[in-house]
Amino acid sequence: MLSLDFLDDVRRMNKRQLYYQVLNFGMIVSSALMIWKGLMVVTGSESPIVVVLSGSMEPAFHRGDLLFLTNRAEDPIRVGEIVVFRIEGREIPIVHRVLKIHEKFVPYIGIVTILMNDYPKFKYAVLCMLGLFVLVHRE
Amino acid sequence: MAARNGKSGILEKWRIDEKPVKIDKWDGAAVKNSLDDAAKKVLLEKYGYVENFNLVDGRLIICTVSCLFAIVALIWDYLHPFPESKPVLACCVVSYFIMMGILTLYTTYKEKNIFLVAHQRDPAGMDPDHIWQLSSSLKRFDDKYTLRVSFTDGKTKRTRDKEDTQSVAVFFDENGTLVMDQFEKCVSKLHDTLTSDKKTK
Repeated sequence: MLSLDFLDDVRRMNKRQLYYQVLNFGMIVSSALMIWKGLMVVTGSESPIVVVLSGSMEPAFHRGDLLFLTNRAEDPIRVGEIVVFRIEGREIPIVHRVLKIHEKFVPYIGIVTILMNDYPKFKYAVLCMLGLFVLVHRE
Repeated sequence: MAARNGKSGILEKWRIDEKPVKIDKWDGAAVKNSLDDAAKKVLLEKYGYVENFNLVDGRLIICTVSCLFAIVALIWDYLHPFPESKPVLACCVVSYFIMMGILTLYTTYKEKNIFLVAHQRDPAGMDPDHIWQLSSSLKRFDDKYTLRVSFTDGKTKRTRDKEDTQSVAVFFDENGTLVMDQFEKCVSKLHDTLTSDKKTK
């Protein structure tokens, strides 16, 4: 057997002491975890402390800066504020400053235009259907 | 048969009860721990007392419950992503910190540096056990180790204790090996003083 001196302490321990060692490790991890979850609950945001990864917000934020975030439902988002958001499917949150807020808008109508742009065949199919409809429908 | 011998052979090589204890003499925590363990060994092996684990078990249970709260919070948050899990999380976090408070109170007021509670069984089997308690203290960066032995008579429930302060240099040689004989003499002296006091009172 290899004589690993630093393990001597462990070898001399009985079951309770070994369990206490494991528990000690668990307690350290749990404390960190609970502080993180506590911050999540208090600030209301999913990740209350984030690190700035890219330099896109310079000279306001530099790479490596720490940001402390809150997400209170009662605060409205105003122009000039800095928001951090995450797009579904992408792991990393994005930091940007709000430039313009669109107060009244009709959602999703633009989707059709986007779809037609991305899928030209779809555009032709829609045009054909419209043409046929006009031809066939009696007014 | 050969397999079982092989397994117990490895287990024996793993356990090193007979090897002399060698620690880093500059590491205060290691010094205190090794002295505490040696004192335990003297009381349990030489005098044959039975160790009582209730104090240690209490601490282990409090720690285990705290970790359980943390694990529940982790799993719940994983299954129901953040905004829905807020009440459960808040509950677990608060409970965790309450358990931490309880743990601190327990170690400060109930455990009080006691590292061994042992029962001395009455040979006649008639009287309740006598209880021996060992506690020690070693201040940071200090070399004075204080060992306190306290004896509680099973029948009269009166407690007597005696303490002894020595420099740790008395028990360790230059390499950090614990000189068991010296230490055993010291512990036995404390023990015998208390036992003889019992007889004279």
